[in-house]
Amino acid sequence: MRETYAAPLPGMNLAEMTGKLIVIEGTDGVGRSTQIRLLRPWLEQQGRAVLDTAIKRSELAGKGIQQAKEGHTLGRITLSLFYATDFADRLEHEIIPALRAGFVVLTDRYIYSLMARAIVRGADARWIRNAYGFALKPDATFYLRIGVDDLIPRVVFSRGFDYWESGMDIHPSEDMYDSFRKYQTELLTEFERLAKEYNFEVIDATPDVRTVFEHLRAGVARVLSGEPREPLFSVPAPVGNVLEQTTKKVLEMPGPAKTITPVEEEPAPTAHALARAAEGDSNT
Amino acid sequence: MKRYGEHRFPGKLFVVEGIDGSGKSTQLTLLHQWLQGEGYGVVFSEWNSSPLVRETTKRGKKKQMLTPASFSLIHCTDFADRMEHNILPLLKAGAVVLCDRYIYTAFARDVVRGMDSQWVRELYSFAVKPTAAFYFRVPLDVAMKRILDGRSGVKFYEAGMDLGLSESPEESFRIFQGRILDEYEKMVPEFDLTTVDATLPIEEQQTLMRQIVKAKLAQAKRLRVAP
Repeated sequence: MRETYAAPLPGMNLAEMTGKLIVIEGTDGVGRSTQIRLLRPWLEQQGRAVLDTAIKRSELAGKGIQQAKEGHTLGRITLSLFYATDFADRLEHEIIPALRAGFVVLTDRYIYSLMARAIVRGADARWIRNAYGFALKPDATFYLRIGVDDLIPRVVFSRGFDYWESGMDIHPSEDMYDSFRKYQTELLTEFERLAKEYNFEVIDATPDVRTVFEHLRAGVARVLSGEPREPLFSVPAPVGNVLEQTTKKVLEMPGPAKTITPVEEEPAPTAHALARAAEGDSNT
Repeated sequence: MKRYGEHRFPGKLFVVEGIDGSGKSTQLTLLHQWLQGEGYGVVFSEWNSSPLVRETTKRGKKKQMLTPASFSLIHCTDFADRMEHNILPLLKAGAVVLCDRYIYTAFARDVVRGMDSQWVRELYSFAVKPTAAFYFRVPLDVAMKRILDGRSGVKFYEAGMDLGLSESPEESFRIFQGRILDEYEKMVPEFDLTTVDATLPIEEQQTLMRQIVKAKLAQAKRLRVAP
C-alpha cells in the first residue's frame, strides 16, 4: 500500500492508488523537462497512460505564485507556503486521481526541490518537512545530478540567468553570475543531503541528453516492471564538482588526476546493460 | 527561522479570537479607538487580508475547489505574508498591533476540517506569541442568533458546507461552529487564552479588556502625548 511521510490528508485513500508515481528531481537548468518530454512518448508507445505535472501548474495557486514572484514583496516563509498550497492542490486534484486511474505520474520536481529551496532560504528543516508530511512517498525519485561548473554553461547558453534561479532574493548585492554560483552550490549541497535521506536514485546529468535518457529510461522501466532497485545503479558523488571548495582543494593536491576523473563518464555497466535491455535491439 | 515563543520586540501584539457572532471584532474596534486616543501607534491586521494571496483565495472559494489541506495552506500563506511584511516589522518598530483572528482560528478550523492538529501547529510555528490573546466565549445559540439576524446568509466555507455536514446551510453552520467552539475550549489552557464572557454587556467586556491591555503596555511607544 502507498504511504505518506506523516499524517495523510483527510479522505486520502492510500489503498486505491495503483498507478506509479515517478519523480524527476534536479536543480534549475539540469534538463528535467527535456527528459520528461522524452519519457512521456516512450511510455505512451508502450500503452502506459501518463500524467505529467510540475511546480506552479496548479489551477488554484499557479497564477498567484507567478504574480507574487513578479513583485518584490514576497517573503521567504510566504513563498514556501505558496508553493506548498500549489503542491497540495496538484496532489489532490491531479496526482491522486491519476494514480487511482492507474496512470504513470511523471512529476517534474517534487517536495524535495521545494524543501531544498526553503532550507537554503533559512527555513527550519523540521518545519518544512512537517509542511510536506502529507506527501505521498513516490515509487522512485531519479535525481539528475550535476556540478555547478557543468551547470553554468548550460544555463548561460540556453536561457540565461533568472532572478530566482540565481537566488538574487538572498544574495542581492552580487552580480547574477556570482549569485547563481553561490546559490546553486548551496542548493546542490542540500540536494545531496536529501538524496541520502530520501534514497534518491542518482543519474549523472553531465553527458548528452540521449545518454542521460538511456539511464533514466532503464530506471523507469525497472520501476514499472516492479523489479527491485539495483544498488549499483546509483553513481558515486562527483568529487569536487558539487562543492566548489572541494574542487579547489582537490586541484591543489599533487597528482589529482585520478581523484577528479568523474566516475560517471564511465557509467556503471549495470546501468548500460539495463538501458540496452529496456531498449531492445534498436539504437545501440 | 524563529519559532513560536515570547518575542522581545518593543511592540505589543493583542489578538481577538472566537466564533462568528462572538462580538470580538466590535471589541477590537473599541480597543483600537481607545489606544489611538491614548496616543499609541496602533496598527490593525485582519485574518485573510494579504493582497499578495487575495486573488488565489478568492478563486479557490468561488470555484469551491479548496480541500481541507489547500484551505489550510492558503490561509497560512496569507498569514505568513502579513507576519513577514506587517506584524513583525511593526512590532520591531514598537507599534501596538491588533489582530482580528490569529493562529488559533486556523487551529480550530483546520482541525475541524480533519487536518492533523500537530501538523497545523507546526505549520504556524513561525508566528509570534501574542502579548495577550482574548477569547470571546459565547454559547452557540447566542452567536447563531446574532449572525442569522444580521446577515442575509452564510457563505459556503463559512458554514463548513465543504464538509458535507448537512444539506441546509444553516444546519451545517450550526454543526460546524459547534465543533469550532469545542476546539477553542481545548485551546484555552493550551495557549493560555484570556477568556472574556461575550454575553456580558459590550461596555463591561471593553472595560475588562482595556484593564488587561493597559497593564501590558509599559514599553509600547506613544506617537504623541495623550490628550
